[in-house]
Amino acid sequence: MQANDPDILWVEEPKLGLAGKLYLPLIAQGLTTTTRHLFSKKITVSYPDTEPEIANPLIYRGVHRLNRDEQGRVKCVACFLCATACPAHCIDIIGTESPWPDREKYPESFTIDELRCIYCGMCEEACPVDAIELTSLYNLTGRTREEMVFDKEKLLSVHDQTIDKEPMRSQGGATSQGGFP
Amino acid sequence: MSSESLLYAAATVLGAVGMWLLLPRPGERLRWGGAAMSVVALGLILSQISPLGDMLSQSMFVVLGSVTVIAAAAAVTFRNPVYCAIWFAMMLLGTAGLFLLQGAHFLGVATIVVYAGAILVTLLFVLMLANPRGNAPYDRLSWEGPLSATAGIVLVGMLTMTLSSVLKSPTLADDLPSALLTAQAVGSGNSDTEQAAARNGGQDILSEHHSASLGGRMFSAHLVSIEVAGVLLFAALVGAVAIIAHSRSVRSDKQTLAGKQAMQTPSTNGRAGA
Amino acid sequence: MLEALIKIVVVIGAIMTAVAYFVLLERKIAAWVQDRKGPNRVGLPLTKVRLFGLGQPLADGVKMMLKEEYIPGHVDKALYVLAPISILAAALATFAVIPFGSVWPTDGGPIEFVVAPGFDAGLIYVFALSGIAVYGVILGGWASNNKYSFLGGLRSSAQLIAYEIPLSLGILGIVLTAGSLKLDAVITQQAETGMWNAFVQPLGFIVFLVAATAEAGRMPFDLPEAEQELIGGFHTEYSGMKLTMYAAAEFMHMITASFLIVILFLGGWHFWGLTGSGDQITWVTALIRVGVLCGKIFLVILGFMLVRWTLPRFRFDQLMALAWKVMLPLGMVNLVLVAAMVEYFPGAIVDRPLIVFLGMSGLTLVSLVSMAILAPLGSKQQPSTLDAEMT
Repeated sequence: MQANDPDILWVEEPKLGLAGKLYLPLIAQGLTTTTRHLFSKKITVSYPDTEPEIANPLIYRGVHRLNRDEQGRVKCVACFLCATACPAHCIDIIGTESPWPDREKYPESFTIDELRCIYCGMCEEACPVDAIELTSLYNLTGRTREEMVFDKEKLLSVHDQTIDKEPMRSQGGATSQGGFP
Repeated sequence: MSSESLLYAAATVLGAVGMWLLLPRPGERLRWGGAAMSVVALGLILSQISPLGDMLSQSMFVVLGSVTVIAAAAAVTFRNPVYCAIWFAMMLLGTAGLFLLQGAHFLGVATIVVYAGAILVTLLFVLMLANPRGNAPYDRLSWEGPLSATAGIVLVGMLTMTLSSVLKSPTLADDLPSALLTAQAVGSGNSDTEQAAARNGGQDILSEHHSASLGGRMFSAHLVSIEVAGVLLFAALVGAVAIIAHSRSVRSDKQTLAGKQAMQTPSTNGRAGA
Repeated sequence: MLEALIKIVVVIGAIMTAVAYFVLLERKIAAWVQDRKGPNRVGLPLTKVRLFGLGQPLADGVKMMLKEEYIPGHVDKALYVLAPISILAAALATFAVIPFGSVWPTDGGPIEFVVAPGFDAGLIYVFALSGIAVYGVILGGWASNNKYSFLGGLRSSAQLIAYEIPLSLGILGIVLTAGSLKLDAVITQQAETGMWNAFVQPLGFIVFLVAATAEAGRMPFDLPEAEQELIGGFHTEYSGMKLTMYAAAEFMHMITASFLIVILFLGGWHFWGLTGSGDQITWVTALIRVGVLCGKIFLVILGFMLVRWTLPRFRFDQLMALAWKVMLPLGMVNLVLVAAMVEYFPGAIVDRPLIVFLGMSGLTLVSLVSMAILAPLGSKQQPSTLDAEMT
C-alpha cells in the first residue's frame, strides 16, 4: 500500500503541551504509575496452594452433571435435544421405554466424552427438563481416555457431589413436574 | 653478504611469492602452497627477533605480533569482504595489544575506539547493506597482486631488521624503551626535536599524566596538523551531505509528479475514503 | 600476578552470579508491575523449600545448558559461532577497569578493588570494548542469514554508533571536572568535594543516562531485538548456550551502564558522612564503601527495570532524531557550560557548592525548555516527510 493511497486515513495526533514536549515530567508521571503497581495487591492465584474463587458458579461451565428429581430418579427424558445441539458430538444417549408413568422414555445409557466436549453449554440450554447442567468443577483430570468418558452413574454422582453447593438452575415449571408435553 | 642478510632476503622472497599466491585470484591453484610459504617466511623473520626482557613479555610479544601479522595477511587474502573486515578488526586488536604491552594505554585504547569501534563498524554496515553475499567480482579479486605482496613483506622484514639490529647493539641494549623509540624515530626520518621528544616520551609514557601531556602536545606543537585534519573531515562531511541532498532532490522531483495531488490534502482524501 | 588472577576469578564469578539473579529480579519486577507474583516456586534443589523462587537462576542455567544447541543449515558457521563469544568476551573484559569499591587496607599497602589498577585510560577502555560488543550483534545478525536477524543487526549498529556520540559528550564534561580518565580518580574527586557530578552537571547526567540506556539496548531503546517486530532481532536463530551468552552479555551491558552512571555521576562509593574520602581507612569503611556502591548500582538497575515497563519503544526515525537533534546539542551545551565553569570559576565546586548546583540546574532547565519549544521530535507523519526521513 502506497503512503499516498486515498484509502489511508491520516489521523492528526493531539498536540503535546510543554510538559509533553519536555518528556521528563511525563516520564516521571509514568514511573509513578509503574511504582504504584509495584506495591499494589497481586491478583495471581497460587493454584495448587489456594483454589481460585469462582465468582458466579451459576454461569461457570465446568464438568457436566445429570440432575435427579425429588424421588432420586434421573430427570432426563431421553429427548436427544442435547445430543443434537452438541457441536462436538460428545453426547451419546440410548433411550428406552420408561418404567415410570410420568414420562414415556428415559436414558438407558447416557455418556459424555469429556475429552471431546468443548464446554460450550449448549446442551444445558437445549435441555427442556433441566436434566443436564454444567457445574463449576474445573479441575477434571484422568489417566486414561476411557476414564474421561463419563457414563450415567458418574454423571449422577457429580450431581450428588455438587448439589449442595450449586442448586439446580430452575425449579418448578411444567417440565419439572414430570411428563414430556 | 652475511648469513643474516641472506636469511632476510630468503624470507622476503619466500614471503612475497607466498603472499602473491595467497591473494584472491580467479582459480584456487597453489593457495595452500602460498600459505605454507608465508608461514615459513614469518617463522624466519620471527626467529631473528632478539629476546626482550623477561620470558612473559617476550612470549606475549611473539603471540600478539604473530596474531597481528597473520590477521593482516588474512585480511587481504580472504575472498569474502565481511571476513576481510573481521580479520582487519582482529589485526587492530593485536596492534592495540602491542601498544598496551609497551605501556601506551591511551594509544592502544584509542586505536580500538577509532578504528575497530567506529570506522570498521561503519564499513561492515556498508558491506552488509550493499552486498550481503559479498560475491561481486570486483570484491573478490585483488589488484596489483605482485607489487603489493612484495611491498608488504619488505616492510615487515625491514622493520624487524631495524629493530633487531638496534636491540643487538651492545650500547643501547641496557636502555630498551628509549632505544626502541629512537629506532622508530630514525626509521621514520624525523627531525632532531622529534627525536628528543620521543626520548622524553620514553620516560613519561608510563606516567600518570601521559594522556594529559599527549593532549597538550597535540594542541600546541601539532595544532596546525590537527586543525587541517579537522577541516578535511568537515569538508568530507559536507560533501557527503551534498551528495545525499542532490540524490534526494532528484528522487523527490520524480515523486512529486506522481503523488502531489494525493499527498497535498490527505485529510480530505481520508474523509472521502472513510 | 596472583593478586590479579584472584581478582579476575572473583569478579567473573560475582558478575555471572549477579547476571543470573538480575534475570530473576527482572522477571519479578515485570510480574509485580503487572500485578502478578512472578517466579516463586523454585527453591533448594531436591527439597520442597521454596525460598521465594531464589533457586530459579540455577534451574534456568541448568535448563539452558541442557538445551539442544541447534545450528541452522543456512548460517555462516564460523561467524555464527564467533558472534556470541565476542560479545560476551567484550562485556566481561569491560570489568577489568571498573572499581568495585575503593581500597582494602592490608599490611603491605592498600589493595585497590580493580582488576587492572593504574590503567590510565579506563574511561576510553570501556568505550573501546562497547565498540567491540557491536561486532557481536552485527555479526550475529549477518551470519544468521535471516531477514529479521539482519534487520536487528543493522538497527543495532546504527543505534549504537549514533548514541556513542552523546555518551562521549556526557563523559567529556566529567573528564573536564575530574581532570583524569581514570575511574577511581573521578570518584575521588567527587568524594573530596562532596559534590556528585549529577549536581554539578545535571544536563550531562540526563544526556548520559539516556545515551547509556540506548547503548545497553534497554527499553525504550531495544529496537535491535524488538520481540514484537523482529522476533528477537539478531538472536532469532540462536539457541542453548549461545542464546544464554547473548542474554548474559546484554545484562552485563546493563550492569556496566549502571556502574558508569554511579561512578561518573552519583559519587561512586561516596556518601555524605558515611564513607569519608581519603585512602587511609579501616576495613569497616572499606566494606561500607563497597556496600554503598552496590546499593547505588542496585537502585539504578531497579530504575532501568521500572523504565522498561513504563515507556513504549521508539520508532526508528524518532530514535535517530533523539540522538542527533536532541541529545547531541544538549551534550554540546553541557560541555560548554562545564568548560566555562572550570575555566572561569575554578574553585567554585568546593567554595560555593550550592550556587553551582542552583546555577547549573537553572541552566539545565533553560536548555531543556528551549529544546522543548524548538521541538525537533515533533511528530511528522505526513507521507512526504516520512519518505524523506527514510532515505
